[in-house]
Amino acid sequence: MNLVVLILSAAIVNNFVLTYFVGVCPFIGVSKKIDSALSMGIAVTFVMTITAIVTWIINRFILIGLGLPFLEYVSYIVVIASLVQFVEMFIKKTSPALYRTLGIFLPLITTNCAILFVALLHTMRQYEFVESVVFGIGAGIGFTLAIVIMAGIREQLETADIPKPFQGAAITLIVAGILALAFMGFSGLLAA
Amino acid sequence: MIGIAAAMMGLIGLVFALFLVTANKRFAVETDPRIAQLEEAFPGVNCGGCGYASCAAYAEAVAQKGEKIDLCVVGGDDTTREVAHVMGVKVSDEQKDKLVAVVFCQGDSEASAFPGVYKGIPDCAAAVYSQDVAKRCKYGCVGLGSCVAACPFDAIHLSPTGIPYVDAEKCTACGNCVIACPRDLIEIHPLKHDAFVYCKSLDPGPIARKVCKKACIACNICVKAAAADENPDAVYMEKNLARVNTQNYSAKPEYGEKCPTAAYNSNCNSIRKDEVMARLEAQRNAKQAVEVGAGES
Repeated sequence: MNLVVLILSAAIVNNFVLTYFVGVCPFIGVSKKIDSALSMGIAVTFVMTITAIVTWIINRFILIGLGLPFLEYVSYIVVIASLVQFVEMFIKKTSPALYRTLGIFLPLITTNCAILFVALLHTMRQYEFVESVVFGIGAGIGFTLAIVIMAGIREQLETADIPKPFQGAAITLIVAGILALAFMGFSGLLAA
Repeated sequence: MIGIAAAMMGLIGLVFALFLVTANKRFAVETDPRIAQLEEAFPGVNCGGCGYASCAAYAEAVAQKGEKIDLCVVGGDDTTREVAHVMGVKVSDEQKDKLVAVVFCQGDSEASAFPGVYKGIPDCAAAVYSQDVAKRCKYGCVGLGSCVAACPFDAIHLSPTGIPYVDAEKCTACGNCVIACPRDLIEIHPLKHDAFVYCKSLDPGPIARKVCKKACIACNICVKAAAADENPDAVYMEKNLARVNTQNYSAKPEYGEKCPTAAYNSNCNSIRKDEVMARLEAQRNAKQAVEVGAGES
């Protein structure tokens, strides 16, 4: 039960993009089409989950074990960078079309702060192994949810009659703000 | 402390490096090395003259689908040679000719003026669709320069009297102006051939003469001249218009000497053609000299 609460908390109540405002760059950049947004969400979820697993192991057995907690950031960044490299190779091999669609945003997952945030947060909250993994999955689902909702709205916006000054990035940011307001309605629903 | 920290970071880095090395081998994508070489050989302007969306797409087609090697009109002769070198095939003689755009109308504002003024969108197609053109001849150039706007190489310009002329030096025969012209007045032809009937009017002689001073009036003089030269295939008459046979390009400029309206002409609507011809000839001779020299040594 505790794990279900944790996943709901990470995915909806404390949605990374819309509550903590991390990972906004791909959230704006790859949310033009639902297809590519979903692929991006899945890639980020994958990287987040693996990152949570690997960083938990590194944190528990190397950093805490040897008394080197100050290496947290550096080692986590190394983990994330390697994993993103791996995902990039994998996607390039399996789906060149998706590789072209994601374009620069695929290597930019490396600098997506949402991923580092997962790693830092589970360290800060001292989650156990299973909790960390579930937290990573939940955060990934939350990111996917947010970016797909955004892509759906933006597909509708394509045909909408938007006043000229608001077209493009402006209306996107306004929509993101309204979405965040909507997600505020969940706050305080779960205590986690 | 520093020692342990450094060792640990080194270890973590090493482990991930090894992991990535294995993954890279496992997920290596095989690409044809010739594609990269071909992309180097192409000009990289992505004009679409070859019929592919980009130089990269054409390179892929050449390397993998056996597409023709001489489609890159921008790079022309030199690029074709390089592509042939990369692909290990020989260049045939006909693939060596430089092509240029040729404008088939001489009806400028002096030869075929219309008393009215066109005030619509400054675009040839728009003017043609609205039937409200600036010239009297309904087959002739509208003179609003859609071809000029379409040229990515700055090779086609409007003369002061409103007829486009082609800069043979800059023209790469990419064909964008051919598509842009709503009256199909522009065609791609070999640079070395310079005798054409520069008119596309299908009007019967008397009407053609009335609307334009330089129209083909279907008088058959050039056709007879070709027949007299024992070259009857060179020029033929079809739908009130004398045409030069572009299957064999055998027409000579002399056939047009007696053309009453100077529609049959040579080197019309283009500049710097002779310079380019001379330079290409010199290059070809130089290359032949090198090849002969290499053969002897």
